[in-house]
Amino acid sequence: MRKNEVMSGVGKRIVSPFISFEWRMMIPLLLLMAVIVAYPLLYSIWISFRNIEIIKPSQNDFVGFGQFATALSEPLFWIAVKNTFTFLVIAVSLELILGLVLALALIKQKRFSNVIRAILLTPIFVTPVAVGLMFRFLLSTQFGLITDILSRLGIHIDFFNSNTALLSIAMIDVWQWTPFMMLMLLAGLESLPKEPFEAAYVEGASSWQVLTRITIPLLKPVIIVAVLIRSLDALKVFEYVYAITRGGPGTATETLQYYIYKVGFGFYRLSEAAASAWIVVLMVMLLVVVFLWRTARGESR
Amino acid sequence: MKKKWTFRWVSILLIFVVIASGCGNTEEDSGNEESASQESNEPVVLRAIMEQVPDSDIVQSMLEDFNQEYPDITVDIEMLPYDQMREKILSSFLAPDPVYDLIVVDNPWMYDFASEGFLEPLDGMIQEAGDAYNYEDFAAPLRQIAEVDGQTYAIPFYNYALGLIYREDLFEEHALNPPESIDELQNHIEELTTDEIAGTAMQPQRGYKIFEEWANWLFAEGGAIQDESGNIVLDSPEARNALTKYIETYNASAPEDSINWGFDEAMRAVSSGQAATMLSYNWMLPTLNNPDGAAGDLAGRFALTEVPGGKSVLGAWYWGIPANTEQKDAAWTFIEWITSPEQDLERVLNGGAPIRMSVMEEAGSHEDGFGEDYYNTVKSILENASPLADGPNAEEMIQAVGTELSEAVAGKKSVDQAITDASNKAREIMNEEK
Repeated sequence: MRKNEVMSGVGKRIVSPFISFEWRMMIPLLLLMAVIVAYPLLYSIWISFRNIEIIKPSQNDFVGFGQFATALSEPLFWIAVKNTFTFLVIAVSLELILGLVLALALIKQKRFSNVIRAILLTPIFVTPVAVGLMFRFLLSTQFGLITDILSRLGIHIDFFNSNTALLSIAMIDVWQWTPFMMLMLLAGLESLPKEPFEAAYVEGASSWQVLTRITIPLLKPVIIVAVLIRSLDALKVFEYVYAITRGGPGTATETLQYYIYKVGFGFYRLSEAAASAWIVVLMVMLLVVVFLWRTARGESR
Repeated sequence: MKKKWTFRWVSILLIFVVIASGCGNTEEDSGNEESASQESNEPVVLRAIMEQVPDSDIVQSMLEDFNQEYPDITVDIEMLPYDQMREKILSSFLAPDPVYDLIVVDNPWMYDFASEGFLEPLDGMIQEAGDAYNYEDFAAPLRQIAEVDGQTYAIPFYNYALGLIYREDLFEEHALNPPESIDELQNHIEELTTDEIAGTAMQPQRGYKIFEEWANWLFAEGGAIQDESGNIVLDSPEARNALTKYIETYNASAPEDSINWGFDEAMRAVSSGQAATMLSYNWMLPTLNNPDGAAGDLAGRFALTEVPGGKSVLGAWYWGIPANTEQKDAAWTFIEWITSPEQDLERVLNGGAPIRMSVMEEAGSHEDGFGEDYYNTVKSILENASPLADGPNAEEMIQAVGTELSEAVAGKKSVDQAITDASNKAREIMNEEK
């Protein structure tokens, strides 16, 4: 009886007095998205065209593209752009290389593979700000474990001077996020078809040939997605900078997110911070579109 | 089917109406309760925000005494790390219903808070407090910071003016006297530097720290940050000399790889015997000389003197009353009590940083104090001290100048360029409104 009722309900679901069933099912999600995504985004666009500063509640005028011009003319903004992209290139390329090496090693592993994979994944589960604090102490010149061990071996490195700080922060990112890259590539490797590899084996191809001619080309879609996800994440680097260097020494580790945070919540110029953030969004969107368009064009060839 | 749906929609509508009206009632009820409590003079709870520092703990420990005198006023202190304080305070200022009735204000925030009308002017209350309260007794530079456009907006809580902390035993060993000029300081530091110990622990960390330290060198060279009308005068030969000498000393005598060092690192170096001197807060001396403190066996060997040249950088915390609180009277009652000469002596003897001249005199001869020499030195420091910035957007100006100085120390900019850029940025930031 009940089953019949349910069945009849399914049959009638398209008939509705106001809106179709599908839309009614979508409405809660759409409302939620509108409240938590669309509203803040639209609000941030709105304030980027005004001159809102938290410290001056009486000031709220339309200034057109004034805030965008201010943000673009600020030398520190461009230093932050340069630092962030340098960080991104170093961190993501190292993560890709190391992740691929680890994934290739793990795919061949027969015993304890699950345990080893679980252990390798642990850095992902640590909060980035805790990772930042952890490395701040491990790499401290005063009492850092790593600096101490290195100095006993006769190696003397200051990890956070103006030449090394950005590189050190990129290395911390590599430590934390290589396992993610490895996980993505491992999943990709496991889903590859066996036939091309068997054919290569029969033809007597070397391991290097198999890797460069078969594995990597077949893995390309996964690599693209993994690199894209990591790059977008790397653009948001904030926690390590906040926990360790606060943008210094000088402007060596001033990254975009830290810069925007400082303008918005340090100096309370919300409109300028919103304008800077939107410039970054537009830049990233442009890069992603170009990147995807080029890869799509490459694939179609 | 249609009927069924109409019924459902009506039910949903009804539920919303009930919820909405329920919310409305709650608000009205709480509003009524609040006004009732004010009318009937019931016990007041003062919600206060303070920084997580020993000076706040001392205040917390004195609340019991306050409640013996004022049993109707409960002070509920929320202690937060520095980074979170300004945001919380500002949100409370802007909220329709304030979160705090009593706040502490760091000196760089003073101008912005007062000029935007967030703080209650206290002149009337100070006048009413009369001679016994003796407002003029607070060190003059401290009072000056709290005055914005001719009105007083806050009462000093504790100072963090800088002095030179040095190892007395090492100075004696090398037959050195406290330095009176930057050149002398440089020579002393150089002489004290050996393979085992750095002549000085510096704090060239970007932002507030480097500016706070370097400004003492600037003052000693005869330079200034702002003139009497508040105009930026950083672009000067004195500033260039001061920065050149600062970098020379950093390269020659500070511990290796200390370019990111702030207060904690420098303090650790001095207390563990790795460095012989540091420019730091005057109240660090009792902490360093405390046999149970971080310095261990070295306790008792530290001394404090004025920054060479006699003028030091002044920082201070203040008590303020948010303009939007309903509990202004109760808040003032507490401020008047905690900053009164009697209670302030108590606070200082418990280890709080001094603010009143008379209290420093009394504490000097008191058996629970840290000795006459110490209080006399702090008195001289407080007589001639100046904040890093006085005017609008002080916080941002400090960060901007601090970044330029850090660039110069890191070798990324020449001294000349760094000073020119620092001065231009400071001018741009502070004159924005003018």
